[in-house]
Amino acid sequence: MHDIKRDEIMDLYKNPHNKGYMSKPTVSVSKKNPMCGDEVNLQLKIDNGIITDAKFDGNACSVSIISSSVLTDYIIGKSINEVKKIKKNDLLKLIDMNLSTSRISCASVVFSALQNALEDL
Amino acid sequence: MKDVRKDFPILNRTVNGSPLIYLDNAATSQKPKEVVDKIVEYYYKYNSNVHRGIHTLSEESTEMYEGARKLISDFIGADNPREILFTKGTTESLNRIAERWVPANLKRGDVILLSDLEHHSNIIPWQKAAERIGAEINYINTDDNGEITIEEVKKMISDKVKLISISHASNVLGTIVPIKEICKLAHDKGIYVCVDGAQAAPHLKINVQSLGCDFYAFSSHKMLGPMGVGVLWAKEKILKELEPYEYGGGMIDEVSFKNAAWAEIPIRFEAGTPNVSGAVGLGAAVTYLSNIGMDNIRNHEIELSKYLLEGLKEIKGINIIGPREADKRTGLISFYFLNIHSHDIASVLNTLGIAVRSGYHCAMPLHNKLNIPSTVRVSYYLYNTKEELNTLLNGIKKALDILS
Repeated sequence: MHDIKRDEIMDLYKNPHNKGYMSKPTVSVSKKNPMCGDEVNLQLKIDNGIITDAKFDGNACSVSIISSSVLTDYIIGKSINEVKKIKKNDLLKLIDMNLSTSRISCASVVFSALQNALEDL
Repeated sequence: MKDVRKDFPILNRTVNGSPLIYLDNAATSQKPKEVVDKIVEYYYKYNSNVHRGIHTLSEESTEMYEGARKLISDFIGADNPREILFTKGTTESLNRIAERWVPANLKRGDVILLSDLEHHSNIIPWQKAAERIGAEINYINTDDNGEITIEEVKKMISDKVKLISISHASNVLGTIVPIKEICKLAHDKGIYVCVDGAQAAPHLKINVQSLGCDFYAFSSHKMLGPMGVGVLWAKEKILKELEPYEYGGGMIDEVSFKNAAWAEIPIRFEAGTPNVSGAVGLGAAVTYLSNIGMDNIRNHEIELSKYLLEGLKEIKGINIIGPREADKRTGLISFYFLNIHSHDIASVLNTLGIAVRSGYHCAMPLHNKLNIPSTVRVSYYLYNTKEELNTLLNGIKKALDILS
């Protein structure tokens, strides 16, 4: 990994975007990493089919935090239909961390939470 | 102990450009050349199905299989090799008791006593067995030092307790559990004791008769042997009354279209073609361990534990779990930092060629009870050195620099 890229990633780990809890989310989903049991909670606020806000929290490792930060940034302002089209690989490309198989499962927890959150919408 | 390293070819490899430092022995140990050679020799020279064959290869293969049973029987101080059942590993060994012995010996309202430091494989089989017969499960609590005290065991014993199933050593805390004392207490009350020895058999000199337990389960792969084979030891008297676990070829005396009569023990419990090369490999492993001497291995690990405990204590913000005294542990130490995830520390260490485990180590109830996040577990064995631990300590400091 290039140093600049690494610095950006580490900065996101130390100062993640959208971390915390919102009041009255439209939907809130907690998802566990089956590999290690870590949990990510994802909350969305939805107005007229548009995701107007997204937040995450939980006990999570750096990869999971970075992935959650990137994904929430990416979906805010998009319509549910657009977000439903996002594939796991799209997220992995967005975070661009060259992850090993075991760490891909860390990055994917928030994606699974998003899928669950959108299931009934 | 240093010269044992040459017996383990894998220790010569590099990981991410650095020499491998393998500190994940509680998950599985590495294998000495002698063990791998023995398995290769078995397949190259003796491979044949065991028992009943008239031809030479079948007889030789049977001799090797039964010879391994004898080696293992001697290694754990069993009364005789008929008490040694080969299984897939500790998990299957424990499941066998839960599936077959529990329904025949426990009834509704009886209690199975476990402890809070158990691995999932010494919890779930009992939960399912208890659910089926309407029995209850209670837990013995560890104290503040991560130990199981005999006073606590006494407190939990009642007339309803029929079985205690407990680890000989914890895979998270490293704690060595006072099995002998527990057995004495239990037997005075007519309670049976099953021991999960997965984390103890590789590190401690085991004598099932002097421990006084009724069942002892362990895995080959954590003690230099191959994966996919393990042992369930039980007293002959118990085995003679126990229903077979599986039914099929090899475990019968006589079969008609209507029914079947079982073969003698232990064959009765080994339906189908057994894992002969696995058993032979485990035989080679216990021979290797005996030649080194379990007391020497134990002393080496206590030395490493002392050294590592001292080194870790110097690291700011670290929380070490389990007994503070090195001689109360097997070869492992787990720790955590409040604001840094164990996976991230393990990832940084991996870039330096150091293999440690991070997570809940199949002991989620224990982590939840202690209210701690996932932990980093460093587990060592006869081939690890103080120099490797120095590299580890520097690696942890580097990880903290990057992550905090």
